Amino acid sequence: MEKEHKPRKVFVEGPISPDFIAKSIASHQSKTNIGAHAIFLGQIRADEKEGGVVSGIEYTAYEEMANDVFYEIREAAFSKFELTCLHIYHSLGLVPTGEISLFIFVSSPHRRAAFEASEFIVEEIKNNAPIFGKELVGEGGDFQWKENR
Amino acid sequence: MGLHVQYYGMLAEVTGQAEENWLESGRLTVGEFRKLVTDKYPELLGKKFKIAVNRRISEDLAPIDPQSEIALLPPFAGG
Repeated sequence: MEKEHKPRKVFVEGPISPDFIAKSIASHQSKTNIGAHAIFLGQIRADEKEGGVVSGIEYTAYEEMANDVFYEIREAAFSKFELTCLHIYHSLGLVPTGEISLFIFVSSPHRRAAFEASEFIVEEIKNNAPIFGKELVGEGGDFQWKENR
Repeated sequence: MGLHVQYYGMLAEVTGQAEENWLESGRLTVGEFRKLVTDKYPELLGKKFKIAVNRRISEDLAPIDPQSEIALLPPFAGG
């Protein structure tokens, strides 16, 4: 029988802390059918732009639609890959350069499914989740809108 | 009956607002809506955006039901 996967809260305000990531890993120690975790972390890069260096990204989203998209990505990942569990967290609001804005945590009995699922999920989020990012540039309050490639 | 129209990211800066209600009496397709919204805000013509109807990206030939929620979505930047 197919398991039902409830929608989960994805958006968090501000950066995702290393402490939160560590606790997420620890909370899976009791799930002893897992043999492989794959973790993907998106970090804010200090790109050089005309006018200065990127100091952070301010994220906004069409949250209701994004939550629908995250739910569909979860369902697709569970049906395509042999996964035990799957967690996705994405920041809203300001994330300074060097901090984490995306945390994908995929667990499986075996490594291949974990690797492949994490890549699939990152690509789906970048292409389909209605999330918008304003890159803050330099010291003078300048900004430009980011676009995924 | 109206449409609830939302503008996201840079598009909210172009239109000067995040959302507004449109009093539309007839039925529109997405393409017809795109024409109306770019007539109303000509600066949108230079911008890339997709249109979501009731949280689904929709093609120009798709009809829009009365009372729909419409969102103009600039390029995505998640991740």
